[in-house]
Amino acid sequence: MNKDYHISFFRPTTERAKHNRNMVLWLIGIWAIAIFGFHILLRVIEKPVPEPQLIAFNEVWNDVKEGNADASSLTTFANSALHVAGKVFISTEHRAALDNGITWATFQLADSAQQVALTSALLDFEKAESEANAVTDADYLSAKRKLGGLATSILGLQPTEVLAKILPLELRSSSIEAITAENMEIIETCMPLYTIHNRSFLTDTTFLGFPFHYFYSAVFLLILFIGLCWAYCLRVDQYNKKMGIAE
Amino acid sequence: MKKIILSLFTLSLPALMSAANAATELEGGFKTGPAIILISILCVFVMVGILFRAKDTNDYYAAGRSISRTGSGMAIASNWMSAASFLGMAALMYGSGYHGLAYVVGWTGGYVLLLILMAGQIRKYGKYTAADFIGDRYYSQGLRATGAIIAILISISYCVGQFAGIGLMFKWILGLEYMWAVMIGGSVVLTYTLISGMLGVTKNMQIQYIIIIISFLIPLFILTFKFDYFWILPQIGYGSVVTDITNGIPSAEISQLVNAVGHDYAIAASPEFSMPWDPATGKTYFQWMAIAFSLMIGTAGLPHVIQRFYVVPKASDARWSVVWGLFFICILYWSAPVYSAFGKILSANPEVGKLSKDAIVVYTAQLGGIHPLIVGLLAAGGVSAAFSTVSGLLVAGASAFSHDLYVKVINPNSSPKKQLLMARIGTISMAIIVTMIAMLELGLIGQLVAVAFSLAGCTIFPLFLLGIWWSGSNRQGAIAGLIVGGLISIISITYFVAGKQGVVLPFHEFISYYLEAWYFAWIGAPLAILANIIVSKLTPETPEEIRKFLIEKVHS
Repeated sequence: MNKDYHISFFRPTTERAKHNRNMVLWLIGIWAIAIFGFHILLRVIEKPVPEPQLIAFNEVWNDVKEGNADASSLTTFANSALHVAGKVFISTEHRAALDNGITWATFQLADSAQQVALTSALLDFEKAESEANAVTDADYLSAKRKLGGLATSILGLQPTEVLAKILPLELRSSSIEAITAENMEIIETCMPLYTIHNRSFLTDTTFLGFPFHYFYSAVFLLILFIGLCWAYCLRVDQYNKKMGIAE
Repeated sequence: MKKIILSLFTLSLPALMSAANAATELEGGFKTGPAIILISILCVFVMVGILFRAKDTNDYYAAGRSISRTGSGMAIASNWMSAASFLGMAALMYGSGYHGLAYVVGWTGGYVLLLILMAGQIRKYGKYTAADFIGDRYYSQGLRATGAIIAILISISYCVGQFAGIGLMFKWILGLEYMWAVMIGGSVVLTYTLISGMLGVTKNMQIQYIIIIISFLIPLFILTFKFDYFWILPQIGYGSVVTDITNGIPSAEISQLVNAVGHDYAIAASPEFSMPWDPATGKTYFQWMAIAFSLMIGTAGLPHVIQRFYVVPKASDARWSVVWGLFFICILYWSAPVYSAFGKILSANPEVGKLSKDAIVVYTAQLGGIHPLIVGLLAAGGVSAAFSTVSGLLVAGASAFSHDLYVKVINPNSSPKKQLLMARIGTISMAIIVTMIAMLELGLIGQLVAVAFSLAGCTIFPLFLLGIWWSGSNRQGAIAGLIVGGLISIISITYFVAGKQGVVLPFHEFISYYLEAWYFAWIGAPLAILANIIVSKLTPETPEEIRKFLIEKVHS
């Protein structure tokens, strides 16, 4: 028994305290390396990897900005902008700017007859959209289908593609004439924001269907935490039994 | 009893079936089926509370120290699995992808610290409340009162988030205004907490855990089965959902699969959902690490969690109850990301519009075309999760008020009857304060709850950690640590509130980033520990009787 009655985790005075300290240090070491060590490693080895759409966008953006884009460049621009507009984390402000670009490019690509038809279909769709009670309303669906059919053919999309499904929702009658200077700036800033990702072999390896790092944090770490707790309780009970300690 | 329950079920079945369709609206009016399920569940809670009500103060505070390891583990899990876990966890991952996993890791990893550093020792110390421990260990009535006030503040902050969750679900089910929903929900949880005390609460919590977990898991099996993933174990099966979001799902491949509003089960490639600290989410590597660390420290310092270790018979039971508690918690935490992943695909079409993140669990089930009654059960599970936590928090807060402030500081000679009365007055007062703050709608569920964690991490955690493991930590050191931790908390919360009000303070951007309200403990806790150690070294040592108690009772 410690006659001075001093307790310090790092300077144990009894066998039991030493045993406990060592066990706690081991467990905390495993715990810390598993959580923070892994994420430090993830950070160290990651590389910013652009999506193909950003590479394509960068190749044509200067021409689009300066008004020198040909049909192929406009199609590339519209498709890459549409790809970002359909992303799951897009902000309202960024989406509005991209919509401006998509609408303008689509109308630039259309010939005069297509422009007339497209304008009419777009106005009909906006009217149906404002009057619809639900997205399943027949008039709304019909107007959307008509507009989608016209626009997807102009951009060279297959009607079954995901982007073709969202294209009519990104067209705005107020954005036909030009991309505003403000929206040009936003598009330039937001394209890399949504299309460059921190990747490494830990994110690109698939394990049980998951990206490995995701599995590690969402599933494995929780199993490890339970395992650490279980191991601690078992060891303490075993030690107490061995030493004849009753709590 | 069985006959009554069976009769009630038989009578309500036709109403449930006829009301099913009413629950298909994403938003909107009164949903009869889910409302009947919710009301039935609340009736069960109150009945259990009455059957196991507290008979004296020992029952009220510590459930007569008669709860088994698994029972206590279930109660820990139920107490822990709040609206923030049930609703907020999926919301965080839905809103910020991989960043949300920092909360999953933080809220579970903290239990390892809690177990190996505190659980057994706290039980051996043999006190009722966190403030009781602080007051005795640091031989100071002032610190006892401060500990009680901090415990009350933490409980209030935590409760406000839960009341917001209750309001959201009551609003969805009953079609009520948010304000009424909060008031009704608050009244019910207050009623049975008052009637039952902690013994009833603990029994209730075991039932609540079962309701919570069943209501949470059923839709997952249906979603994974319906959308053709590995449904036998959805917690693994959804890995392919995450990969599908990352790589995209072309419409043509699965045109026969649609969500409840007829959109294809399709999504454009969105690696930002799964990639770490992706720029698209606006979250950084530092924030991931700071949140995970702060939540872990906070977990080990939350008064209502610590208080659960007083309700088991022995120290070894306290330890094993953590293992069971963590296992039961993890069942929900393995499952919550499934909702966020399915939610992303099912709401990918812009026509779905902006959904309330805090209700994404329910919206995902709705968009997945799950039967409205099962969606109703899910929403009732969300309410149950909030209720179980609120009841524990109200007991912890009321204990701090009546036991630590009234009995130990104001009126030490009060009778047990008077003590019980004060505990009940404390519970009512807290419920009223929380209801009023919740009505202000200051922030999201997760935000308000995370503030409580950082506050606990900066204040209570250092006192417990050093108080248990270093006899050199004395009253002066504890005061210094509390001042440092408290100061950092005040700075962070001031900037948070100012930001919410649109007020820009000096160095606003810097402080808001490095001391954000939900992770300021990353620096606050280490500094508070350091201050405690330095001042303790420079001042007279801890009295011998405290050191002797630590050696002979806590570490023997």
